[in-house]
Amino acid sequence: MSAEAREATRGRILPFTVPWESVPWWAIILAIVGIFVGWSVLTSEAYLDALAFIIDGVSLTLQVTIISYLIALVAGLIFGLMRVSDNPIFYAASTLYVEVMRGVPLLVVILYMGFVVTPRVREATGGQIDLQGVPAAIMGIALSYGAYMAEVYRGGIESIEHGQMEAARSLGMNYMQAMRYVILPQAVRRILPPLGNNLISMLKDSSLISVIALNDLLQTGRLYVSRTYRAFEGYNTVALLYLTMTLILSFAVRIVERKAAIE
Amino acid sequence: MNRDPIITIENVYKSFGHVEAVVDVSLDVYPGEVVVIIGPSGGGKSTLLRCINKLETVDAGRIVVDGHSITETKNINRVRAEIGMVFQLFNLFPHLTALENITLAQKVVRKRGEKQAKEIAHEQLVKVGIGDKWDAYPSQLSGGQQQRVAIARALAMEPKIMLFDEPTSALDPEMIKGVLDVMLDLAQEGMTMVVVSHEMGFVRAAADRVALLDHGSLVEVTTPEDLFENPEEERTKEFLSQILH
Repeated sequence: MSAEAREATRGRILPFTVPWESVPWWAIILAIVGIFVGWSVLTSEAYLDALAFIIDGVSLTLQVTIISYLIALVAGLIFGLMRVSDNPIFYAASTLYVEVMRGVPLLVVILYMGFVVTPRVREATGGQIDLQGVPAAIMGIALSYGAYMAEVYRGGIESIEHGQMEAARSLGMNYMQAMRYVILPQAVRRILPPLGNNLISMLKDSSLISVIALNDLLQTGRLYVSRTYRAFEGYNTVALLYLTMTLILSFAVRIVERKAAIE
Repeated sequence: MNRDPIITIENVYKSFGHVEAVVDVSLDVYPGEVVVIIGPSGGGKSTLLRCINKLETVDAGRIVVDGHSITETKNINRVRAEIGMVFQLFNLFPHLTALENITLAQKVVRKRGEKQAKEIAHEQLVKVGIGDKWDAYPSQLSGGQQQRVAIARALAMEPKIMLFDEPTSALDPEMIKGVLDVMLDLAQEGMTMVVVSHEMGFVRAAADRVALLDHGSLVEVTTPEDLFENPEEERTKEFLSQILH
């Protein structure tokens, strides 16, 4: 509403109007469909059976996602800092890592971790270190995503005006102090949206670990289908569970973003 | 002034690619002195100033500040803590309040405690005339207020020298006086200052010497009186005729 319009309507009782253009239609549709689907699931014997079996896979999916994400956040930060470093060795090493990991499909990385790295590590350490299973899966996802995250951090750091670094350095801070107290706090705020999106992507991509026979959500669903031959109910349940988790995350990411924007 | 200079600039040379920004400049600044560097834009004023605290590295020559060779020192951070710098675009940290802007380097570099840093920050904010704005974020302050916070931030480190890189050229006209007043007070307190500025009012009121830099070379170093009354060099006269309307 323009200032004139506000002035003109001051003191008058406005008719109740709905700002139709600002209604989140997608969320309303989703909610209606969600209620409908939820009702059909909870009243259907077949879906309740599928849900009871498949929901066991959620915990591994969440566990792998969260741990991989935390590792990728740290790896991304370290390699991102190396990418903007003046040190040629740091720069070369991080660029190599980023280019290689971004160039290999995540599925291939996970298979490689599971069937190439794990046996080699076990052999080399005489069985002391065994990455079999979940550790291999987590390492694969974290390493792959670390490369994407490194580029996100780099972009964030490079988006901060050069004057900020100069001001910090002119006050006597060393490079790392300036990074820690001046550049990164600003950069991280700017990259919250891509960081949040990466978490959501990661949750979905964690389904790839089913190829190394881990009982995550997808693998549990496949197990259910192969036992009961109820592909329809089985995969619907799998999809619904993923969707529920990603929607919750996407709302959480929005809230965090909004909070950061206000500050 | 028979004391030793606090800043010695000796035959400094600096180029960016093919562009010679500073050409064979030598200049001494004595403790308590206010030296204003003037000259046409692109003349190398800012570059010379930024060489003093090594925001730019020199290609040749030597700069000594308070006994530390800027061009050779291993620990530039310790020397920089003694040299306050004020930038044209303020460069306040936007994610911190005015007070936090001023306490950060005190805590991180000077290792002062939270309480002491805050006390000093409040003192400095009062001194620059915006004591009530301590909890405002830079985006909530006017340009003039931001620049005063930036000056307070530099002063809280208790520097021996203050460098000003066109501190008023990004300000609205009505904001300039407030910042210049703070600088005048500082000059009167005996702070050693090197100022890149075209504020001729400030030159008249506070400068001990004025240096004219053109195409990277020092054309003339003179007192403000001589500058305005009888400039020696033809280039100086020409420049003054352009900026004094």
